[in-house]
Amino acid sequence: MQHEDPRNGESAHRSSKKPKLSSKFITESDIRDEFSHHHPRVARINNGSFGSCPGSVLTAQRHLQLQFLRQPDAFYFNTLRDGITASRKIIKDFINADHVDEVSLVDNATTAAAIVLQRIGRSFAEGKFQKNDTVLMLHCAFQAVKKSIQAYVTRAGGSVIEVRLPFPVNSEEEIISEFKKSIEEGKSNGRKIRLAIIDHITSMPSLVIPVKELVRICRAEGIEQVFVDAAHAIGSVKVDVKEVGADFYVSNLHKWFFCPPSVAFLYCKKSSSSSDLHHPVVSHEYGNGLPVESAWIGTRDYSSQLVVPAVLEFVNRFEGGIDGIMKRNHDEVVKMGKMLAESWGTNLGSPPEMSAAMIMVGLPSRLCLNSEEDAVTLRSHLRDRYEVEVPIFHQVFKDGEEGVRDKDGFITGYLRMGKRAKCFIRNEEAVMKVRAAFHGINICVLPSSDACGITQFLKNQTKKRKEHRRRKLYASWKPRNGESCCLRGCNEVESLGTYAFLLAIDKAETSNVGIGMALLQMVRIHWSMLDQPKLLKPWLWVKHV
Amino acid sequence: MNTTSASAAATPQPFFITPAEVFSEFSHHHPSVARINNGGLGCCPSSLISSQRQIQLQWLRQPDEFFFNQLQPGMLRSRNVIKDLINADHVDEVSIVDNASTAISIVLQHMAWGFAEGKFHSGDATVMFHCAYGAVKKSVEAYFVRAGGYVIEVPLPFPVNSDDEILQEFRQALEKAKQNGRSVRLAIIDHVTFMPTVVMPVKQLVSICREAGIDHVFIDAAHGIGCVDVDMKQIGADFYTSNLHKWLFCPPSAAFLYCRKSNQSSALHHPVVTHQYGNGLATESSWIGTRDYSAQLVVPKILEFVNRFEGGIDGIKRRNHDAVVDMGEMLAKAWGTHLGCPPHMCSSMVMVGLPACLHVSSDQDSSKLRTYLRGKFGVEVSIYYRPPKDGEVGPLTGYARISYQVYNKLLLLLLWFIDISGKYLSLLQPKATTLPLSH
Repeated sequence: MQHEDPRNGESAHRSSKKPKLSSKFITESDIRDEFSHHHPRVARINNGSFGSCPGSVLTAQRHLQLQFLRQPDAFYFNTLRDGITASRKIIKDFINADHVDEVSLVDNATTAAAIVLQRIGRSFAEGKFQKNDTVLMLHCAFQAVKKSIQAYVTRAGGSVIEVRLPFPVNSEEEIISEFKKSIEEGKSNGRKIRLAIIDHITSMPSLVIPVKELVRICRAEGIEQVFVDAAHAIGSVKVDVKEVGADFYVSNLHKWFFCPPSVAFLYCKKSSSSSDLHHPVVSHEYGNGLPVESAWIGTRDYSSQLVVPAVLEFVNRFEGGIDGIMKRNHDEVVKMGKMLAESWGTNLGSPPEMSAAMIMVGLPSRLCLNSEEDAVTLRSHLRDRYEVEVPIFHQVFKDGEEGVRDKDGFITGYLRMGKRAKCFIRNEEAVMKVRAAFHGINICVLPSSDACGITQFLKNQTKKRKEHRRRKLYASWKPRNGESCCLRGCNEVESLGTYAFLLAIDKAETSNVGIGMALLQMVRIHWSMLDQPKLLKPWLWVKHV
Repeated sequence: MNTTSASAAATPQPFFITPAEVFSEFSHHHPSVARINNGGLGCCPSSLISSQRQIQLQWLRQPDEFFFNQLQPGMLRSRNVIKDLINADHVDEVSIVDNASTAISIVLQHMAWGFAEGKFHSGDATVMFHCAYGAVKKSVEAYFVRAGGYVIEVPLPFPVNSDDEILQEFRQALEKAKQNGRSVRLAIIDHVTFMPTVVMPVKQLVSICREAGIDHVFIDAAHGIGCVDVDMKQIGADFYTSNLHKWLFCPPSAAFLYCRKSNQSSALHHPVVTHQYGNGLATESSWIGTRDYSAQLVVPKILEFVNRFEGGIDGIKRRNHDAVVDMGEMLAKAWGTHLGCPPHMCSSMVMVGLPACLHVSSDQDSSKLRTYLRGKFGVEVSIYYRPPKDGEVGPLTGYARISYQVYNKLLLLLLWFIDISGKYLSLLQPKATTLPLSH
C-alpha cells in the first residue's frame, strides 16, 4: 500500500525513504513507483480509454476522502466549495479561459454532452427551435454523444447531419473539405443548423482534427453554437479555448491529465444564453450558474475534483511540465507506430502531425478483420492470451470506397496505440509484446531482481495450460555485437502441444532500446526456427540477468 | 455451563460485533466531535472503506479488463442484494444511482417529457409536502414547472401528534385540486421528512393517491433504508428512492431507485446518456461514462457488516430508534420542551424542542446556532427553525434534529449535551433579544 501522507490534501508528494536525487526532475524509477499499482505484466497501450493516475495523486485523493469521512458536515461547509473553486482556477489558467465562471467541473465528457444537449432539447420543447432544425456531428463521434443526440435532439424533433471523415487521412484539407460539403448539405431545404459538435481528437479512429479552422467555418456559415468534444485533449494537445473559439469545450482530466476517475471540465463561453445551462441533477444550487450547480449535485465523493492541485504538482516534476510530457508522448507513439507499421508492411492511419499521443496502425490484412465482432474478439484475445490491452478499430467501407492495401489484401483493421509517460512495462517492450502476440508468442519480461518471479510465472502458466502437453526448453542467448545471435543449448523441440522458452539475456545490453531490439531479434529468430504449423501456441519468457 | 475456575477462559467468543469493534470501525471519525447528525451525510465503517479501496485498486490496475469483465456483473450483484432487501419483485426494477437527488431528476425529467410530448397538459399538477427537501423542490421547478406544470404544496403540521393530522392535510389538498379542475399527475411523498423529521404514513398516503386517481406516486425515502422498514410491495408506490450512504453504511455515494414494472417504467432514462441508452434505466445507470463505481459495487459487503450486529439491520434500526427517543425525551425534560412528534413517528432521528430563551427566530439563526455549536462545543447537529403560526402563543421556534447511529454512545452524549446546554444557556442574558452569535 502507498505510504499515507499526513499533510493537507492540496499538495502531496509521495515520501521516499531514499535521499532526494540531485536531479530536480522525476526519474524513471520514481515513475515506476508512481505506477506500481498497474498490472505488472499487461502491456497497457490503451491510455486513451480510461486514463491512468499516479500513486502520489491517489494518496492525495485518499487523504481528501478520509477528511470527508472524518467530519463530513465540516468538510461540506468549510472545505468543499473552496476546494472546487481552486481546481477550477487552475483549469481556467491552463486552458486560457477569461473567467473562472466559464469553467465547470463535471464527471466526464459524457455528462458535459448531456448538459449541452439537454438545453438543445429544451429549446425544441419550448418552441425556440423548429422541427427539423439540425445538429451537425462527425460520423465517428463518440457513441455516447450520438446516443445523447438521439435522446435529446432527435426525440425532440430535431434532425442530425453526420460529417463523414475520410480514413485513413492524409491531410487536414481532406477533413475541412468534407466538413464544408456536409454543411452545404445541412443547410439545403432551408434547415437551420443550431449546433455543431466537433471532436478535437476523435476516439475511433483517432485523429487530431483542425478544430480552429472548423470553428471558423461554422461561424462563417452562421451555425449558432459550436460544441467541441475534446475528451482526449488536455494533456495530449495544447488547449487554448480562446484560440479554438468554440461556445462549449469539454475535456476529461482523467484520460491524459493524471486525475483519478473521474473529472472533466466544461468550458462555456460567457454569453447571454450561458446562464440557461443546467446540470441535469438538480440540487438546491439550481439557478446559481452551472459551475456552482456542478459543484454540488448531492452527497457524493468529490475528491477527484478536489485533487487537481496535486496533479499539477505531479506534472511539474517532469522536464517541461505537461508540454514536455505531450511532446515526448507524441514522438514516442509515432516512433512506435512506425516501427509496427514497417514490420507488418501496413500503414499509419494519419500523418504524424495529425496524431497526438495516440496513433492508428494498420493491421495485417491476413488477420481478416471483417466486422466489429472480429475487432472485439481480437481485442479480447490479445488481452486474455497475450496480456496486451489495445483497442482495435474495424474500418467500414462505403460502396465504391477502396482502402489501403498491404501485400496480402485490403487493410480493414487498425489498432489504436496510446502512449503515456513510461509505465511499468517499458514501451518498447510493450510494442514487442504486441508484435510478438500477432505471431502467437507471448513475451513476459521479468525484472532482474525478481529471482522467484520466473518460477512463479512458470507455475502460473502451467496452471493455465493444464490442458496442453508442455515441454519446457531452456536456452541461454548472448547477443554478439548486438546483431545476429543463435539459440544455444536447446532441447529437442516437440512437434505437438505448447512449449516454452526461457531465455537469459546477459546484462551487456541494458538500455531500453537495446533490450527492445534484442527482443525483436529473439522473436524473429524464434519464429523462423519454429515455422511449423502444428506449433500453435508457443510461449517465450525472457529474464534479465 | 462451566463452573470450573477455567470458566473465564472458556467463555465463548462473542457472536456479534462488540462495542470495541464498533469503536474501531468508526475510529476515523473526528474523536472530539459529537456527531449527532448522521441523517445529514451518513457514515461508513472502516471495513467497508477497505473493501471499497480494493475495488478502486482493481480498476486502476487494469481498467479495461475491469470494464469488460467485472463492472456489469458487480453492479448486477449489488442490485440483487438491494432487490431482496426491499422486497421488489424483479431486479430490473432496481437501478443504482448516486443519490436521491439524481433519482428525483430522473423521474421529473420523465414528467417533463410528458408535457413536451403532449401526454400532460399545461396546468397539470404535482402535489408534495411543503417541507420537501430543497433539491426536490428545485428539481420540480427545473423540470416540472418549467415544462408547464403546477405545484400544490401540502403543509405538514408540526409539531404533529398523529398520522391522521398528516392524512387530513393531504386529503384536503387533493380535494382542493379536484375542485379547481386540476389533473394531478405526480405525488411526491417523503417517507421520512428531512426537516423537520417525521415518519410519514406512506402506505395510507399512497392509498389516498390511488383513490384520487393520481398517475404516479414517487416516494422520496432519502432516509429510508436502514432507518425505517422499506417494503416496496407493501408501500405500493410507482417510484421509490433511498440513499444507501445515510443509514446503510455505504461509502459516498450510492442510492437505489425502484421503478415498479409497468409500460411507463421502460420510458425512464438516466439524464447522462451513454451507449447504454435504451437498454433500460438499470443498465443505463450502471454505466454513465468513466467514473468511480466502487461505492455502488461494494453493496454486497454492506450486508456482511450489518449482519455482525444482533438482529442485523432490523436490530440496528430498533436500537437506534429506542436510543434516540430516550435521548430526545431526556433532553426535552431537561430543557422543559417537547418532542416534535410522538415516538412512533420517529425513526433514528428525533426533533427536540430547544429552550425558548435561545430565540431562534429565523433560518439564519438556526444556521448560526449550528455553526456555533460546531465551532465552540464540537457538536454536529442540525437545527430547525419553525415559524410561528398566526395566533400561537409562546410556541417553540427552534428544534434540534438528533440522529443516533451505532457509533454514538448514548450515556456520554447525554452527559455531554446536558453539560454544553448548561454552559450555553448560562451565556445568555435574561433579556437577550439576539443570540450571542456575532462571532
